[in-house]
Amino acid sequence: MIFDKLKDEVNELLSRYPVKRSALLPLLYIAQREEGYVSEPAMKEIAKLLSLTPSQVYETVTFYSMYNLKPIGKFHVQVCRSLMCALVGSDNIVEWIQKNLNISSGQTTADRTFTLSVVECLGSCGTGPMMQVNDDYYERLTEEKVGQIFDDLKQKGSSSLKSGPFMFPQPTKS
Amino acid sequence: MSEHTTTGMVTVTIDDVTASVPKGTLVIEAARQLGVMIPHFCYHPKLAPDANCRMCLVEIEKMPRLQTSCSTQVTEGMVVRSSVPTVKQARKSVLDFILANHPLDCPVCDQGGRCDLQDFSHEYTASGTKFVELKRVFQKEYFSPVIETQMNRCVQCLRCVRYCDEVMDVRALAPAGRGTLTKIKSFGVHELDCEFCGGCVQICPVGAITSRLSMYEFRPWMLKRTESTCGYCGDGCQMTFQAKDNDLIEVNSTLGVGRNNGDLCSRGYFGYHANVHEDRLQSPMIRCDGELVEVPWEEALAVVAEKLTAIKSANGADAIGGLIASRCTNEDLYLFQKFMRVVIGTNQLDSSARYGHMNGIHALQRVQGTHRWSMSFDDLLSANAILTVGTNLTETNPITALKVKEAVKRRGAELITVEALEPAIGTISNIALLSTHHLPLAPDQFASGTIGLLKAVIQENLVDAELVAHAKDYIDAIKKQVDAISWTDIEARTGLTAEIFQDSAKVFTRAERAVILVGQGVLRSQGGYGMTLNLMDLLVLTGKLNRIGCGLAPLAEENNDQGSVEMGAVSELLPGGKDCRSREAQQSLEAAWGCSLPSGEEGTLMDMLGKAKRGILKAMIIVGENPIGSLPPDSGIEDAIGKLEFLVCQELFLTDTAKRADVIFPACSYAEKDGTFTSTEGHTQAVRKAIEPLGESRPDWEILSALSVMMDHPLEYESVKAIGKEMRDLMPGTRTLGPSPLPPRPCLDTLTQYLQEGYQDTLATRYCLPGMKATHTFVLNVGQSIFHSGKFSTRAKGLIQIQSQGVLSMHPEDAERLGLACGDGVCLENQLGQVKTTVKLSDRIPCGVLFFPEHFDQDIQRLFAVSVDNDTHVPYFKCAHVEVSKAS
Ligand code: SF4
Ligand code: SF4
Ligand code: SF4
Ligand code: FES
Ligand code: FES
Repeated sequence: MIFDKLKDEVNELLSRYPVKRSALLPLLYIAQREEGYVSEPAMKEIAKLLSLTPSQVYETVTFYSMYNLKPIGKFHVQVCRSLMCALVGSDNIVEWIQKNLNISSGQTTADRTFTLSVVECLGSCGTGPMMQVNDDYYERLTEEKVGQIFDDLKQKGSSSLKSGPFMFPQPTKS
Repeated sequence: MSEHTTTGMVTVTIDDVTASVPKGTLVIEAARQLGVMIPHFCYHPKLAPDANCRMCLVEIEKMPRLQTSCSTQVTEGMVVRSSVPTVKQARKSVLDFILANHPLDCPVCDQGGRCDLQDFSHEYTASGTKFVELKRVFQKEYFSPVIETQMNRCVQCLRCVRYCDEVMDVRALAPAGRGTLTKIKSFGVHELDCEFCGGCVQICPVGAITSRLSMYEFRPWMLKRTESTCGYCGDGCQMTFQAKDNDLIEVNSTLGVGRNNGDLCSRGYFGYHANVHEDRLQSPMIRCDGELVEVPWEEALAVVAEKLTAIKSANGADAIGGLIASRCTNEDLYLFQKFMRVVIGTNQLDSSARYGHMNGIHALQRVQGTHRWSMSFDDLLSANAILTVGTNLTETNPITALKVKEAVKRRGAELITVEALEPAIGTISNIALLSTHHLPLAPDQFASGTIGLLKAVIQENLVDAELVAHAKDYIDAIKKQVDAISWTDIEARTGLTAEIFQDSAKVFTRAERAVILVGQGVLRSQGGYGMTLNLMDLLVLTGKLNRIGCGLAPLAEENNDQGSVEMGAVSELLPGGKDCRSREAQQSLEAAWGCSLPSGEEGTLMDMLGKAKRGILKAMIIVGENPIGSLPPDSGIEDAIGKLEFLVCQELFLTDTAKRADVIFPACSYAEKDGTFTSTEGHTQAVRKAIEPLGESRPDWEILSALSVMMDHPLEYESVKAIGKEMRDLMPGTRTLGPSPLPPRPCLDTLTQYLQEGYQDTLATRYCLPGMKATHTFVLNVGQSIFHSGKFSTRAKGLIQIQSQGVLSMHPEDAERLGLACGDGVCLENQLGQVKTTVKLSDRIPCGVLFFPEHFDQDIQRLFAVSVDNDTHVPYFKCAHVEVSKAS
């Protein structure tokens, strides 16, 4: 039971909404944060917490591409393929990744390190091609850069090529 | 939409026709009333508007763009056009998008010929879609044993999903994914597990959800339609049998028809195969050298006539008894009791209404002098407060449950539930989740719970002022009883504090219109009659008994429990529910029948069995009832039947009782005969012959009529209609045509009599808390499952695919305490014996309670002791206390 150890967080969340059901998306987010994906037991647990049926939780999960219904690799690589990125070559990036990781979109590498998803606009259109790996953005990608990022991730678990962290409003440079 | 305000009318013009309709009417409905059919997929009168398909677009003057007529309400002076070119073009475009993906596999689709998409395409886009892209293709996925999905055909109107949620409150269906790739699923890769009401199949406008029971077996135009009434439960749903080559192919229901108004439950929708099961008896049989052998009708009838005549002349008419199932038609029941009373000449007769329904009838008769509800099904919808006690409503009376759901969800009624249910979400709906005041009690606590409510009424001064003025003694007598019972004692019995009783009592009393639904958990449990009387007291005390829209409704389990009472197929009542000892009733019946009535004493089921055991009752005629299957061994039923000199059974199947018969007449099912059933609310509805009788089987009334001729007391009727006419002449309330009869009003003389002295009898016994069970034991309750009805439904292949065996439901906490997991073997034990079964965890069941479906109770019956109600002679055997251990 993943929420057993998160009682305070769950209660705090539930207290924010007049209608219990409204807490569905944040709870799914927590489930995914804890397990890397939204598992069936997690959906059932959430259903119970919110007086929904498992089917009602499931339909919501399937509606949003940000929730994973299957376990994913340590790094979830999401490459934008929407128009702006496509104009500056996102398809080459995707192809390069597919070839080098030997997986296609929706798949995970055998060592469970990388999962590749091709997604719609991530709101970083001015700096395409771009991708998101777990919570970090990587922009103005080239094949070399992606290779470097993947090496870093494998070796160090993070890469200095990531953008940000950003804060809003942007701190003014003095 | 029923909740639209109806204050005032507005004038609307649709396609040049002007009319006035109630304010708030949806444009699509207004158009329908004016004879204009606006094509639609997602709209359905039962569902809240969703406006997701765009098929219903119309032009409305003074509004920009086209509007969805399914979600737009008419306003004064609105001018709507539904057949102008822009509208037609819009419809064509919507169809273009749908057909871009639709497989057009009409030749192999069961919906072909009655499909909205076919019809609209035919009308608007004869040339097909203009899109040339590849069609979306979903891999076929297994959905469920009885329901099939073919998602390539889905138009994504979500009617199925919304029906399952809004009407059924089951919420089993999920539209998974987005956009054109949305498909209807249940939960992940799991197969559907739900109430299997078939509603999603029926409401799908295309062939995307279909029944597997009839898959590929027909084209709609091959089917012969027969409007009839469901033969499973007392809700009396109106349905249509669809037959081909003398075989039942499917069942449907129609919006606007019957109290069910287009809804059915799994038994009605998927249970029809029981009628035509291959084990049906097809020719008469008599016992020869211990074996049952097939013989011609004449021979079997002659043997029975001769034997019954001989027993009657040797031992008197009272040596012969009769028992009939409440599943039979009114005509069968009527002729059965006439046969017993006139041809045999005895009052030794009973029906399966004795198993519980008689408790409700006697309580109604005693307090308000009616043998029917003094309220109607519609009063449930308009109630402000509904109290259910021991109903397990969803499972026993699913359509009544839908009315309660509608009353609560759409009309804001307050719901007080005294039920052996926990408000947990499961695969079937749960009314405890909807209730405003839930009193979770075990069946052996219902009596204490009822007393709690009455105590609260007295203590909180909720007694009706008018009653205080003229029935002081009655009130004082009850007050004295409840004052002697302390809240501490009630709390010890129920685990509930005074507050919940007080709150519930206030809600109930405050309600302008309040109804009480009484279920099998009360009617079939120890003290059921007393409990029902106490609930009547609740109505009387709160001043609601005689108020319009209020009443107490005992729910009939079997389809024609109410009919068997009204037809006089129970020992103490003559046709019309008249007391068989009333000289006046006897005289009028004697005049009508032209013969005298028997003067011997009455004999109910349990009386007859007692007499059989003592060798006084020598012969029995059992019509469609299987007492060996129904009663636990503790009743001595085997012994009683064994001692009979002669047993005749009229049966569809070789039941445990029929196996013991000396002669068996093959009866036909209700799908093979004409007649009527009376629903639990007292509404008599037509049963019509959908197929010819199988083999040599015949309607029960015909067999009895043939027998009467051979016994020289001919009860001859040229057809079943002639019996119907005789019945209606005697009892005008059993007409089937015309508007349904209004519910009777309580008889004020009877009520006055009750308030003066009628209440005194049994007051002390019924206002007394039952003893407490030992803490380490469980309350084992056998009862009805939503998927079955009696043992009959276990012959329906669809229902068996849904539920094929009985398992014991137990609360997970109890299971954990005992170290049990789902699927483990358990041993149940009490002083009567020991039974092994399998356990299933269910958080619907309260802790300390066990539930087992009665349809599979052959083994477990051993654990149940039988006690008989002193007043109503109802045998109680549905509840036992047992110890549970893990089976080794
Ligand atoms: S059959 Fe099941 S899924 Fe379909 S409407 Fe009924 S309860 Fe819902
Ligand atoms: S399965 Fe039928 S009812 Fe359900 S969304 Fe598809 S077309 Fe509509
Ligand atoms: S069993 Fe009862 S609720 Fe179900 S369809 Fe038949 S009459 Fe209706
Ligand atoms: S188009 Fe790629 S981030 Fe917007
Ligand atoms: S019927 Fe109106 S939008 Fe579907």
